[in-house]
Amino acid sequence: MRTLKTFTNTNHKFPYSKYIKSAFNIKRLRSTILIISLLCLFLTSGCIISQQQSENYALMKGVTANDPVIIDGDLNTVGESQTKKSSGSLAIDAKITSESIVYLPEKKKIFQVKIHSSNIQDFQLMALNTLGEWDQIHEQRSTDSKIIDIRLKRPVTTSGIKVVVRKTSDDAARKRQNLRVDRENEETPDGRIRRGRLVYKVSGPLTAPGKIAEIELFGYADKTP
Amino acid sequence: MKHKSQLTNMHRLPIQIIITFLFVAFILNGCTALQEAQKRKEERLLAKRNVNRLMLAPSDASVDVDPNPSEGDPHGISDHYTLTFMEDILATDAFDDAPERETFALSSLGYMESLYDALYDIFGFKPEHKIHVKLHDIYRGTRLAATTTTITGSRFYRGGYIKTIKGIEMDFPKAMYDSPGTRVHELTHAFTNIYYLPTWFSEGIAVLMQSEYARDGSHPKFDNLERHLKLDLDGINLLESWGGHVNLQATPLSSWRYSYAYTVVSELRKRFGNDYYIKVFELMDEDQLHIKLEGNMPTSMVVYYLSKAAGEDLVPFFKKLQFKVSKLNKTDILQFIEQTKPPNQRKN
Repeated sequence: MRTLKTFTNTNHKFPYSKYIKSAFNIKRLRSTILIISLLCLFLTSGCIISQQQSENYALMKGVTANDPVIIDGDLNTVGESQTKKSSGSLAIDAKITSESIVYLPEKKKIFQVKIHSSNIQDFQLMALNTLGEWDQIHEQRSTDSKIIDIRLKRPVTTSGIKVVVRKTSDDAARKRQNLRVDRENEETPDGRIRRGRLVYKVSGPLTAPGKIAEIELFGYADKTP
Repeated sequence: MKHKSQLTNMHRLPIQIIITFLFVAFILNGCTALQEAQKRKEERLLAKRNVNRLMLAPSDASVDVDPNPSEGDPHGISDHYTLTFMEDILATDAFDDAPERETFALSSLGYMESLYDALYDIFGFKPEHKIHVKLHDIYRGTRLAATTTTITGSRFYRGGYIKTIKGIEMDFPKAMYDSPGTRVHELTHAFTNIYYLPTWFSEGIAVLMQSEYARDGSHPKFDNLERHLKLDLDGINLLESWGGHVNLQATPLSSWRYSYAYTVVSELRKRFGNDYYIKVFELMDEDQLHIKLEGNMPTSMVVYYLSKAAGEDLVPFFKKLQFKVSKLNKTDILQFIEQTKPPNQRKN
């Protein structure tokens, strides 16, 4: 009782006692705790997202590509998409697609991909998933643009982006260069030449690699408080 | 009663605050554990994704290009290379305009500098000289062969002649230069030729890098060394008589030699670990005996270093594959070097 008296003594002039009492009101307390918890969760959720474009992730330290000049930040250097490991059979490798790959040192949320290319017409854009497999995130059937600007419908969190080049504007020239049609003529016993069947001779790939000056990858910029 | 109720609430308050903080701490702790698990998973994924491809980081090297240089000057110069377009390729559609040459030289030297950095990271040593790359349309009658030549000289040093490297030249037909695997193969020669290796070992290492680092399947590996063995008329493994690129046309024998040499070095790497050849080159570098030899290292000397790095005698392994080898120690090698010197330069 003495304690109670002491505490409730009106002469006790603790300046903020009134406020504390009202703050400790149980109803308020619950909402205070709720607000604190929400605030903590909000802060610990990691970031306050802004819609500003991030820096080009392809220029970060530790980024690698199967042709490094596509991530050197220099539009004057032009890299090429590369065919996968050769099968050893020209017939199989002749029509094989080529690809340009960029690996990031860590996962990033990407919503925009810019490809600077002078010849790519038909391609798929893939992202590396958590199982180490490639998921298609975009497909373009025809384009003549030198800067292909892709805004993804849904941002993708990934550590790898791959452009699979299916058709380029240089394919026709490459085909003319490496595909020859010959006739298998035969010499008859009496010395005449008998016209034979037409034979296609392939001396190299029939598709040209994609010429890519840069691949740029953008996400949302983190706003630091 | 009112005061009592207030007091009770007052006592509950610290408990509720503590519970709230414990709850938040629990969530945070859970997040940390989750984040760590995710981080480990990501690390595994990063390690897995890099295994199957040759991935390179851009280089910081400087590159200067002149699409119309004076006669005898290269079209491009970078920190570790010069690039020259030879006459026949300048006549082709892809290189007859200055902007085309400029873009190609800038891009290709950028790529080669990145590759140089990557191989230096692997080997831990690098050639002292710039590598002079010459790009042809057709080289020595073919579009299917590239070569790396290390030009050597000699100088007098501490009472004897030692070999020195005067320059490194790479000749590529454009069709071969387009293949990253070929670039890795030839650059491996540029790095390892400083040890004057016998052809079979030098080519074996180059194909190993081409196949297992650049993931180029041009030279298949044999599944069994003994079954695929080929011997000359003296009963010696045909790898030993491989004198280099005398004829650049692909023949069944040259294809076998590339594949067999690759299989031999790959087998030893499998047995003694991924850094096995790094140890071998470190031992060679430590001794510096290769610079005192008249020509390339004999196979027995290579086997001496291979055995030393492996920690076991590999002479029986090579004898089984019909190599003409004998077990050497360092004194044998020093005696051999001594006897190749002119009489007036010998120590004894």
